[in-house]
Amino acid sequence: MPTLIIDDREITVKPGTTIMEAARSLGIEIPHFCYHPSLSIAGNCRMCMVEVEKMPKPVISCAMPVNDGMVVRTNSEMVVKARRGVMEFLLINHPLDCPVCDQGGECKLQDYAVKYGPDRSRFQDKKRTVPNYDLGPVIETEMNRCIHCTRCIRFSTEVAGVEEMGAIFRGDHMKVGPCPGHGPLTSVLAGNLAELCPVGALNLKPFHFQARGWELSKTEGICEHCAVGCHIRVDSMENRIYRIMSRQCSSINLDWLCDKGRFAFEGMTEGRLQVPMMVPESGGPQVEVTWNQALDRVAALIQGVAPEEVAGLAGSWGQGGEELYAFQDFLRHVVGTPHLDHRLLRKDFSPDSIPLLRADLMLNTPLQDMERADAVFLIGAGPRFEMPLLNLRLRKASLNGASVWSLGPRHLLSKLENLEEAIVLPGEEADFLRKVLNAMTTRRGPKAAVAWANALRKAQRPVFLLGRFAVNHPNAETLRRLVLAVLGKAEAVEPGWNGYNRMISGNGAGAHDLGVVPQRGPGYTKLGRRGMNAREIFEQSALGKIKVLFLMGLDMESDTVVEYLAAAAQAGTKIIFQGAFHSAAVDKVDVVLPGLVHGEKFSTLTNCEGRVQRSGRVVHGPIMAKEDWRILRALSQRFPQELPYDNLQELWEAMGREDRHYDPAVVDSGEIPKACDHGVGLTEGLECGAEVDAEENETDRLVLILEPSFYRDTPMSRRSSTMTKLDGVEVLRISGKEAKKHKIVAGDRVCIECNGHRVEVRTVVDERVKGGVLLGTREAMRELGGEKDGFLQVTLKVL
Amino acid sequence: MNQSAPVQIVFKNIHKSDSHTLPVYLEGGGYKTLAKVLALTPEAVIEEVKKSGIRGRGGAGFPTGIKWSFIPRNSPKPKYLVCNADEGEPGTCKDRDILRYDPHLLIEGMIISAFAVGSERGYIYIRGEFNLESRRVEQAIEEAYAKGYLGDNILGKGVRFDLAVHLGAGAYVCGEETALLESLEGKKGQPRVKPPFPANVGLWGGPTVINNVETLASIPGIMEAGGAWYAGLGVEKSSGTKIFSVSGHVNRPGNHEVEMGISLRALLEEYAGGVRGGWDNLKGVIPGGSSSPILTREACETVKMDYDSIARAGSMLGSGAVIVLDKSVCVVRALARISRFYRHESCGQCTPCREGTGWMAQIVTRIEAGGGRAGDIELLEELCGNISGKTICALGDAAAMPVAGAIRAFREEFVYHVEHGRCMVE
Repeated sequence: MPTLIIDDREITVKPGTTIMEAARSLGIEIPHFCYHPSLSIAGNCRMCMVEVEKMPKPVISCAMPVNDGMVVRTNSEMVVKARRGVMEFLLINHPLDCPVCDQGGECKLQDYAVKYGPDRSRFQDKKRTVPNYDLGPVIETEMNRCIHCTRCIRFSTEVAGVEEMGAIFRGDHMKVGPCPGHGPLTSVLAGNLAELCPVGALNLKPFHFQARGWELSKTEGICEHCAVGCHIRVDSMENRIYRIMSRQCSSINLDWLCDKGRFAFEGMTEGRLQVPMMVPESGGPQVEVTWNQALDRVAALIQGVAPEEVAGLAGSWGQGGEELYAFQDFLRHVVGTPHLDHRLLRKDFSPDSIPLLRADLMLNTPLQDMERADAVFLIGAGPRFEMPLLNLRLRKASLNGASVWSLGPRHLLSKLENLEEAIVLPGEEADFLRKVLNAMTTRRGPKAAVAWANALRKAQRPVFLLGRFAVNHPNAETLRRLVLAVLGKAEAVEPGWNGYNRMISGNGAGAHDLGVVPQRGPGYTKLGRRGMNAREIFEQSALGKIKVLFLMGLDMESDTVVEYLAAAAQAGTKIIFQGAFHSAAVDKVDVVLPGLVHGEKFSTLTNCEGRVQRSGRVVHGPIMAKEDWRILRALSQRFPQELPYDNLQELWEAMGREDRHYDPAVVDSGEIPKACDHGVGLTEGLECGAEVDAEENETDRLVLILEPSFYRDTPMSRRSSTMTKLDGVEVLRISGKEAKKHKIVAGDRVCIECNGHRVEVRTVVDERVKGGVLLGTREAMRELGGEKDGFLQVTLKVL
Repeated sequence: MNQSAPVQIVFKNIHKSDSHTLPVYLEGGGYKTLAKVLALTPEAVIEEVKKSGIRGRGGAGFPTGIKWSFIPRNSPKPKYLVCNADEGEPGTCKDRDILRYDPHLLIEGMIISAFAVGSERGYIYIRGEFNLESRRVEQAIEEAYAKGYLGDNILGKGVRFDLAVHLGAGAYVCGEETALLESLEGKKGQPRVKPPFPANVGLWGGPTVINNVETLASIPGIMEAGGAWYAGLGVEKSSGTKIFSVSGHVNRPGNHEVEMGISLRALLEEYAGGVRGGWDNLKGVIPGGSSSPILTREACETVKMDYDSIARAGSMLGSGAVIVLDKSVCVVRALARISRFYRHESCGQCTPCREGTGWMAQIVTRIEAGGGRAGDIELLEELCGNISGKTICALGDAAAMPVAGAIRAFREEFVYHVEHGRCMVE
């Protein structure tokens, strides 16, 4: 362990530590531009030069490893002179436009110019001018300001895995910008470039000229857009959010944030429900009413039918633990119905009879450990678009040499190295996994399955990831059990390593923990009686057997939801919607109770690893809208049994009593909660089910797989203008083989028909898609009514 | 020093017709040394080269034997030998003649060197403009493969060495060894941050030796006659022969292989036909390529052409490109041209070089054009100090040295330019 002296202070550090890192651990800040702890060392800005005794020249502290007995000075005369020289060089071609620069006030160059720079320029020659580039809707460029630190290039290449940014030309003609042939950025992580840029060359386009950094109030928060639960900083002013920045958290999101987490918030003020509405007794369109009128009506509707004829459905996205807990509490204990669920897109509910525990439902490998994985198996998972920040961990693992194996209906755009893909028709996944299971013992079988088995057999830190496609698969439970069975045969696994992981969406983990499922109460407590699951509720509503349907925070633009609700309304079921966003389907419900969104209320969010994190209020929502749990609390006053909490503290304590992970003493301690602290092992004693019906393999069958658009899969992101701009043109992807068969040329418009619904769409021939499969976005195919219990079998006609 | 019988080690064959072909090379005793060397141990070869005292001929003058001994013996990664034939230093044209007229000498030198450092894979990185040269080297490599001098089993001794040519794309900075490696790997030619040095982490991350063409072409001669013999040539600490590329205002410009330590005046007068208009018409000499500081005539009178003597005179031996300027030359104008070159060739990676070379070139050009301002000369001097030693590679120093040197040696010309807005040289 080398010991060295920095500015007369002694420190002992690990071998290989750089002077910069050693100084940081002493709290000595060495000025720098190009150095970034999460990127490779470039050593090009030369700002971090320090003096090392016995070395004739100043050395760059970011790249120089420490030696035992080194004597370093970070502020000697030599260093100050060198630093002043570098600052002068950086400033000669930098425009003096701080007053109109977005970076002003949070600019390293500006800060260091004040600290180390000259007060006037000796440069009296011609300044360089550099053209700007169109980098898409996220990044605004002002390349005259670029100081060529190459952080953006290193981030794109190393972290995001897209070689989109580069430097062309030499010397003082060197231009940092998109690589020739590239334009708008496609990394889904583009916003990080603006955050990384130490000057105002790359700015956030939506934030361009909107506010000055120092005017904004900065609130720490948690991102709600996927189940990674990234740490964010929300910058706001006068009741408006201006931008969202990443907040460093080494165990979750490192230094990064995806573009959705950064800009989906723009949609929070669009199309909001402002006041309570209801359909008058006499019928007709909804009219504005007071809260009392609305709540009285809801109470009357519920009390007008038997408790068993009431059911509740909650969304998982954007719903905090507070309202999820209150929701199940209200339905179970105030109304007295067991019928509630949040798993709207699920097709296979068979494990509800077991039922599953916390560890079965979430990740068991902490995000941080994923980068140590040596073999990654993706089962129907597209991690880059399901959880971009999780994908970065997998990418790191793959860069470190882990092999990546993917099973699914399509090729991935994953930016993972060493990727081997097994592309199978929807419904044939279990078949493949059975072959892998067989190959684990017999070492025989199809080549791909044997390769999987070989990789798993020698893996010490395998990671299996059941993705959205697998979770919402008609054979989801079979796939899940097969994964467990295959993993059980892996023999080289490191003690303490758990490689079973299941992706979860939104705050689904919170909904499970807090009992918004028909088979378990909060904290996975056993129930006397299992209620109806989401599909049964929908179906029974459509049959009129469920007479009052209470919806909270559902995506009222989801194809499946809209279709079912229309049928329910037809059957005379009364529908109550509590939520934030207006849509055509909301217009048709009987009572509308306007709620708040994330950022306007306190939300407890549970991430995919089971970490429970709290996010606070940044802005106020519409004046008449109310915090969701308070709506339920107020509603319960109209029933004999009131909800027993009058303020947040009491609610949090009640949640903590049900599930120890929600204990406010733990959640509010300021510590980052532990990942994967599930407290229970995996559900054991499950036999691998071989009983699943093999799908009939018709030759003419075309399966349409609907994937949510990454940028527009929630009501809020759909309303964000930046997300809308980022979203590609909606098309139908079709394999070359299928295109040939149907005589389709790329760009042709085709008509897709399914169950009497039809939709017209433009096609793109994409060789990543398997024959027999069509790939579409949910957004474009909404008219088809969504998937219900199986895959969409469609017919295709060329127009 | 006797002009009638100069020792020729590198240029021993180049006067023969068809010297670039294998038969001619073999006639002159080619590849005999290789056979001798393969009977030795690699350590013995390195020892012999150390004994010779040869220093790298590319410009930096690092002792070759010591460089080789930095290569770890047991490396899990393959070791590489790279020949730097990206001869780009303005004024230098010695490597071109070796490549063009005696490629087999280089190849034999590389095989011996690879054997010494334990490398089985070598590259010759040739500058992109060397069209004929690269074709000749490739042809020679083909001939060598056909005769079993290269390949899996060299001369039946079980030694393996594969050699390939890689063409550069016209960047001066790729003559810097780590930029050369980047370029060889297919990336943009930009120097790497050191440490780690190429001896530990070089091409594709493997231990790598990078030597200049002239250095490698000297190896067969050293191994043939012995390190001690070579060390006896030249002067202490600058042993052996060196090719000087004499250009500019001399009557007979060209490459001359002479022993180190020859006086500059003797080099110019005995080999290069004397300064145009006689010795008294000499204004100054840039002794080691455009990056070396200019020497005044007074300094040229006495300076000897070896590493230490030139360093004492305030310049450097560099690549051995001797650029002679007579009294018709405006030093400011010459410097403006040189500064424009470095501005154009800076890779742009690190701040002092990227911004500094451009700024210096603008100032010198402005002074030359009559737009000089009071304080410009002092500013230039300070900028040189702010670039030198602060950059990733030596290109920053290379750009700053001629500026500082020209101002030091011919300050009055700069002052005249600034004050009068025109040149004092008619």
